[in-house]
Amino acid sequence: MLIYLQLGWRNLWLHPVRSALTAAALAVGMAALTFLSAMNDGWMQQIKGNFALTLTGHLQIHAAGFEQSRKLAQHIAEPDAIVQRIDGIAGIRQLVRRVRVSGLASSAGSNGGALIYGVEAADEREISRLAGFVQQGRWLLPDDVRGVVLGAGLADRLHVGLGDKVVLMASVSNGDIASEVFRVRGLLHSGVMDIDDLLAIIPLRMAQQWLGLGDAVTDIVIRADDFDTVDPLQQRLAQALQGQGLEILRWNDIDPMAQQWADFADAYTWVVLLIVILVVLAEVLNTMLMSLHERIREFGLMGAMGVRSSQLFVMVVWETMLLVMLGSLIGFLLGGGLAWWYGSRGIDLSQFAVAFSFMYMDPVIHPALQAASCLRILGAALIGALAAGLIPAWKAARLEPVEALREL
Amino acid sequence: MALIRADGLSKGYRSGDSLVRALDGVSLDVPQGAFVVLAGRSGSGKTTLLNMLGGLDRPDSGSLVVAGHDVLRMSRDERAAFRLHHLGFVFQAYNLIRVLTARENVAYVLQLRGMEKRQRLALADRWLAEVGLQGFEHRRPDQMSGGQQQRVAVARALAASPDLVLADEPTANLDSHTGANLIALMRHLNEQQGITFVTASHDPSVIAAARTLVTMQDGKIVDLREG
Repeated sequence: MLIYLQLGWRNLWLHPVRSALTAAALAVGMAALTFLSAMNDGWMQQIKGNFALTLTGHLQIHAAGFEQSRKLAQHIAEPDAIVQRIDGIAGIRQLVRRVRVSGLASSAGSNGGALIYGVEAADEREISRLAGFVQQGRWLLPDDVRGVVLGAGLADRLHVGLGDKVVLMASVSNGDIASEVFRVRGLLHSGVMDIDDLLAIIPLRMAQQWLGLGDAVTDIVIRADDFDTVDPLQQRLAQALQGQGLEILRWNDIDPMAQQWADFADAYTWVVLLIVILVVLAEVLNTMLMSLHERIREFGLMGAMGVRSSQLFVMVVWETMLLVMLGSLIGFLLGGGLAWWYGSRGIDLSQFAVAFSFMYMDPVIHPALQAASCLRILGAALIGALAAGLIPAWKAARLEPVEALREL
Repeated sequence: MALIRADGLSKGYRSGDSLVRALDGVSLDVPQGAFVVLAGRSGSGKTTLLNMLGGLDRPDSGSLVVAGHDVLRMSRDERAAFRLHHLGFVFQAYNLIRVLTARENVAYVLQLRGMEKRQRLALADRWLAEVGLQGFEHRRPDQMSGGQQQRVAVARALAASPDLVLADEPTANLDSHTGANLIALMRHLNEQQGITFVTASHDPSVIAAARTLVTMQDGKIVDLREG
């Protein structure tokens, strides 16, 4: 094995300029790919994190069927008992109770559909970013039972501002329509259309009274330690709450959009990876075929000396692998280094902030290369090296020594 | 028993519409310890015969036994192994692997045969000294003259103690003085160590050194003389 590596390495430097140029092309391609993957990973972490932290949390517990029907009749009657039952389960970082109902918001001048959330004002800050989106006025206070925070788009439609009155109307659990007057305390600017155009947030206790729910809630929203722990936590919760008539949904079950973004980005990265690898393969293949052509007589000589076809095959594959891995490793380190540098400092893309916030992205991107991406890039380079080596190796192996020796 | 027993070897190939007979029923016995020179003009068939004796080329008909092995019944890999363990080659030019030093070129065949590193390097050094290249062990082919390169090729061919060394025009790219030295070296090794050489050449100095001179013409042996 050592002799193949030795021969391969030295053969590469028979034409140092050509090999260096090929390795440099590989390095540039791999560096770009690595940095792009790091950007993508950073984006995806942001999108998923922001998505979950904006509203949905990592997991939600509802009465079975609530997410589908959105009817108040399907509520969690004794949320404290449920919270007690899941207390101490590993992986729960924080949880809050909510009431969620679709309704109508009206002002003196206009009205429009609204998504009404009753929240625990203080605890909600720990689990979602809603309070942070308040750019005008203030977030809810626990003792301010008539306060409402509106999405800025909804407020515009209703032609209301801070301190104005708003009437919220919704169908309560027995089917009757109930309405209540609130006063606008704050306006949300999240950049996410569904939030800014629809959300009306009121204190939980008020929502429960107004909607005749008593102590009942519709959602118990859980923040997990991180995304990797969501699936096992869901299983543990399902086990603990078995037979309670509840559904336990993950963030991507509740709204698959962020997951679809992640899947799309993943597919996009695969396509870019494939294109880069194909270009690189063509470059390496060209170099190796030129090298093979120049050394045909040498291969004939080796065959005459008693080197078997399979040994020639392995030798050429090793030579290709060395070239590809050299370029790839340099490129990977360059791209990884660049990603690390920008990862700590961030890339400011605030000029696109409006478009980014629509996709739950921050205006500053922090590239963050994930282990899976590293494996994918290096694995693709390895497979690419093997693939690029196969044709010249096969050509070298099938050379007849007597024919090859005639070449000059 | 003959080291080489070739009987009725024939080989033809198409050139346009006509069939060229590169070998036409060649039979030849070469005993152990011989120094045979295949002489003849270009196209007479001497290189084709040499390639056949080395298992590099196959005849259309005939039989060939070298060192007790029926070469024509062997698979491609078996022939490679046969060459590795029984034969040594010296070609006209480009005899060495460019990226290996003189010592590594000689030791390479020994490595392929599975010899331990220290032993093969010592043997390589001994054979380089034997061909007068002591001090050249770490030079690469492009740092040596044509004559020195051919000497390395002879050292490589002999280091693995082959039954037979096949040399194809070994002096063709050398000046007359260097060529004469190389032939003297081969002849010396033949006489002192009993190594069998079969050499194809039309160089008069090589022909003059022959103990057995085989003259070929149009793919046939037309004369065989013991010197």
